[in-house]
Amino acid sequence: MAAAPRTQRQKEIRRHLWIYGAITPYVVVAIFPIYWMALTAFKQDPDLYRMDQFPLWFHMAPTWKNFSYLFYSTNYGAWIVNTMMIAAWVAVITLVIAVPAGYALARLRIPGSENLGIAVFMTYLVPGIILFIPLARVVSMVGLQDSWWALVLVYPTITIPFCTWLLMGFFKTVPMEMEEAARVDGCGYLGALLRIVLPVSVPGILTAVIFAFTLSMQDFLYGLAFVAPGDQKPVTVGVPTELIRGDVYYWGSLMAAALMVGLPVAILYNFFLDRFIQGITGGVGK
Amino acid sequence: MTASSSRGGPEAASPRAAAVSIVVRARPRRWFSSQTSRRLAFGYLLLAPAVLYVLLLVGAPFLFSLFLALSDASVADTTASFVGLENFRAAFESDVFYIALRNSIGFTVVAAVFKGLLGTSLAFLLLQPFWGRKFIRGLVVIPFTLPISISVLGWKWMYDSQFSVINWFLSRIGVIGTYGSAGWPVWLGEPHLALLACIMVNVWRNFPFSAIVLLAGFTSVPTEILDAARVDGTNFFQRFRHVVVPMIAPILLIGLLFDTVFTLSDLGVVYLLTQGGPANATKILPVLAYQVGIQAGALGRGAAIALFLFPLLLPLMILMLRNLKRREY
Repeated sequence: MAAAPRTQRQKEIRRHLWIYGAITPYVVVAIFPIYWMALTAFKQDPDLYRMDQFPLWFHMAPTWKNFSYLFYSTNYGAWIVNTMMIAAWVAVITLVIAVPAGYALARLRIPGSENLGIAVFMTYLVPGIILFIPLARVVSMVGLQDSWWALVLVYPTITIPFCTWLLMGFFKTVPMEMEEAARVDGCGYLGALLRIVLPVSVPGILTAVIFAFTLSMQDFLYGLAFVAPGDQKPVTVGVPTELIRGDVYYWGSLMAAALMVGLPVAILYNFFLDRFIQGITGGVGK
Repeated sequence: MTASSSRGGPEAASPRAAAVSIVVRARPRRWFSSQTSRRLAFGYLLLAPAVLYVLLLVGAPFLFSLFLALSDASVADTTASFVGLENFRAAFESDVFYIALRNSIGFTVVAAVFKGLLGTSLAFLLLQPFWGRKFIRGLVVIPFTLPISISVLGWKWMYDSQFSVINWFLSRIGVIGTYGSAGWPVWLGEPHLALLACIMVNVWRNFPFSAIVLLAGFTSVPTEILDAARVDGTNFFQRFRHVVVPMIAPILLIGLLFDTVFTLSDLGVVYLLTQGGPANATKILPVLAYQVGIQAGALGRGAAIALFLFPLLLPLMILMLRNLKRREY
């Protein structure tokens, strides 16, 4: 009898080794570019541009030079501020518009609300590449060309459909009885929404804020097409377009600039990825 | 709530509804002050900003792009005149357009095959219970969560003509010679390699997405059904083919559609890596539309080229629409 648990344990260990062995190539492929970027960001130039030594580790002391260069000699600081301001405004606009819409579609039994919800969601699938030329006209019509405010105007076209859909699913999970009880107690529809439904929906609303942020960070096209002045660009456009001088690439500072923004966004998005997948697959897989 | 009042609006004014409210409230009220109409008015009020925003900034621009495609609008000249199908004819007569169309379709199909293979195998691995699974999953999905322009920059450096780390590795294991030798690949400089390089970035970025979508599908299949099939004497592939695939078909389709839309309409990867070069080898429709519409300022031509993506996407969208209608919470 004493041998039974041990063989069970050995079986488990063997199974784990097999899985780790099989999954390692995937992890290496996924992570290697990021490791390489990080290494490049901290390497000194003489260490970077040579092929005769093992390139995957440092041969000279790591340096912060690439990072300080960004803040002292480029618009990097301004791009980060732009990006933060854009994200904050997009989040506010998205919430103000998507929360009421999601609530109305989920709870107020509007005729055809299911179809309307799908129609709103489908607009998420209209790709920017079809819209960016006419939107360029819209942006210049309202006089926002050449400033990051143009992106505050257009990014909600991506975030509102997605967040409305997400919140619609979320509001459907709030128990109906609570609102009805509140209305019986003398709250109107607005009162029930503000005092009962919103407080219990804070997690859903926070998720929507995160997506307003991460989805607008994934854009490249609109930022490239609508914002030309160097100091107005969001960081995701400024880094690849402004930090390259002619044909000369300063890879160290480029990688430093890329990772400093990319990694926090990637990690934040990572925690909410399941909600994203649930959102687009319509909650089929829980 | 009765059927008629839940539909709301004018129906509530019907004699029957009025009779009901007489019984309930002892005093007849006009329909517009009824519970239902107030609820609907509140609902439409809440919905209006979203509908307006979408109509003004997605609907109207889409129609406007149809108009632009039929006009000779350009950045330089503010007056645009109607030219009919001239822009489409011009597109069909240019060789670059055909190259871009062919590259777009080839890119999307080849990338989808690899994403499907890598995604499915990874999803099966992540389906197994093992220690540290959450952490490994978090690592593997990083390519998808990293902003696209950021990760493409990293790849551009890995594809460097001289200091490519990929070439260092290939050289070390003896597949190619040292720098300067005949077989040294210049990833972004040789036509067939450049397209492959772009496809590789797309696959790297999106295979975690395929895996996570499939994983969500697999975990939605109840284990009882699989056990029942096992008791009936089916083998793994039979269970996969006849039980798992039909059950996860909707989620599979949605994942595929999303990925196709994202891939087909993506400008970032190719624009940042090669700008469509060398010699149009990586020219795809989004890059061509951007170069013609914004860089050359021919808005009408650009809009017409971008609109060619629509017939490619439309069948997928219709499939998706039918799928979403059947969803349940």
